[in-house]
Amino acid sequence: MIKLENVTKTYKGDVPALRNADVEIAKGEFVFLVGASGSGKSTFLRLVNREERPEQGRIFVAGKDILELSSWKVPYLRRNIGSVFQDFKLLTGKTVYENVAFALEVIGRPKHVVKTQVPAILELVGLGGKMDSFPHELSGGEQQRVSVARAFVNRPLILLADEPTGNLDPATSVGIMRLLDRINRTGTTVLMATHDRSIVDTMRRRVIELDRGAIVRDQHRGVYE
Amino acid sequence: MALKLDYMVRETGTNLFRNLSLTIASILTVAVSLSLVGGSVLLRYSVDNATQQWQGGIEFIVFMQPEATGEQTDAVERQLEDSTQIERYEYFDQDRTFEEFKDLFQNTPQIVESVTPEILPPSFRVVPVDKSAETIESLRSVFVTQPGVREVVAAFDSIRTIRNLSNLIGVGLFVVAGFLLLAATLLILNSIRMAMFARRREIEVMKLVGASNWFIRIPFMLEGVFQGLIGSGFAIGVVFGVQRVFDNIAANQDFSLFSGLVVDNQQVMTTSVFVMITGVLIGALGSAFAVSRFLDV
Repeated sequence: MIKLENVTKTYKGDVPALRNADVEIAKGEFVFLVGASGSGKSTFLRLVNREERPEQGRIFVAGKDILELSSWKVPYLRRNIGSVFQDFKLLTGKTVYENVAFALEVIGRPKHVVKTQVPAILELVGLGGKMDSFPHELSGGEQQRVSVARAFVNRPLILLADEPTGNLDPATSVGIMRLLDRINRTGTTVLMATHDRSIVDTMRRRVIELDRGAIVRDQHRGVYE
Repeated sequence: MALKLDYMVRETGTNLFRNLSLTIASILTVAVSLSLVGGSVLLRYSVDNATQQWQGGIEFIVFMQPEATGEQTDAVERQLEDSTQIERYEYFDQDRTFEEFKDLFQNTPQIVESVTPEILPPSFRVVPVDKSAETIESLRSVFVTQPGVREVVAAFDSIRTIRNLSNLIGVGLFVVAGFLLLAATLLILNSIRMAMFARRREIEVMKLVGASNWFIRIPFMLEGVFQGLIGSGFAIGVVFGVQRVFDNIAANQDFSLFSGLVVDNQQVMTTSVFVMITGVLIGALGSAFAVSRFLDV
């Protein structure tokens, strides 16, 4: 599903954010990216949905070399990739329902699809009763559920999560991880960058560890360190 | 697709109102600059109209008194006939002058109604052999003293004067208008940039979920085009106003060169269309630049 071949990405004049990375992630896998801040986890994720381009190497998503895509095709790549962030990136002026509906509207999904899909996905993440609330009226955990719903409403092949529990307390984090696990069980490949030792140790999934841009460990049913 | 269309309209509207002061500034600048453009185009047209009786090499016109006697007219004609310095001439009697007058004032029937052929001066339209200023001046001085002659108007002076003046004014207006159009483009660019800044979070989300590039761009482009269009609307109002002013000037003048300083409706329409297209282009240019430079999609 995702394949990196000898990928190197350097930001201006700095040490490489990612160095000669070779990784292959199969469809339906759940992968943790771990490592210290600045080790290249976010860069890894940003390369996969082509927010960044590497200086060197090739990146395949669903069998296609995404570096060959012309820029007008990039949006179509991203329709197959959901993204979740530490800071949720919800639109504060829109309700829960509108935030999720927005993701479908802007890719031109017809109204009747929006009307059926949005309540269904909000039900799935456990927010069926809060569709008309605004983000500031919700707890952090609830906001992250909205953001997961938005990322998943279009049923993407891949879900990228960049420290999704970074702003949440441990109990709430467990709830989010259950949700991501559930999404993973539908066949969606999940790639999650995290600092959260207990989550990684509890879930026992594949762990890829980065250190200053280099992959130093790739372990099935791994632990944080 | 229906969803997309009402999305575009909604977004464009929201953007326009979110930045109301900057939007108004852009629209006013477009309006003022296009008014100057439209004004100078109209001036050009009106000068061409005003000088139409001078076409075909006619260099001076001997206007007779309307009450000049037949002998006086014949005397002048004989003198023109005999002069070796005259290549040819044409006599406009009062009826023909009236026809021409009606043509020149077709937009202001009240002027035409107030005039009868009897009060109009008949004239000789003269094409001299030598068109130099000295020759024309000497011919002028010969004819102006003849009995029955009201005045001799030399095209050389008046046409040159009016053409030079209008060129000067026209060039001046175009230069000022050019700077203002540049300012208008930059203002539109900035108002689009502000709109994009105000909506940067939405744009970020749109990019993340895979909205197509044009889907993100079009509302901003439409906003710029809309500003250009509204601005040109004001300018077209001004163009019609200028036509009225010209008509009024013409109405308050005796039968003279300035009587032709009118523009017909066809010319006003052409000018308006030109102004509108320029407005839309300005808007499209400003927003296209903003979108390509700052949207990064």
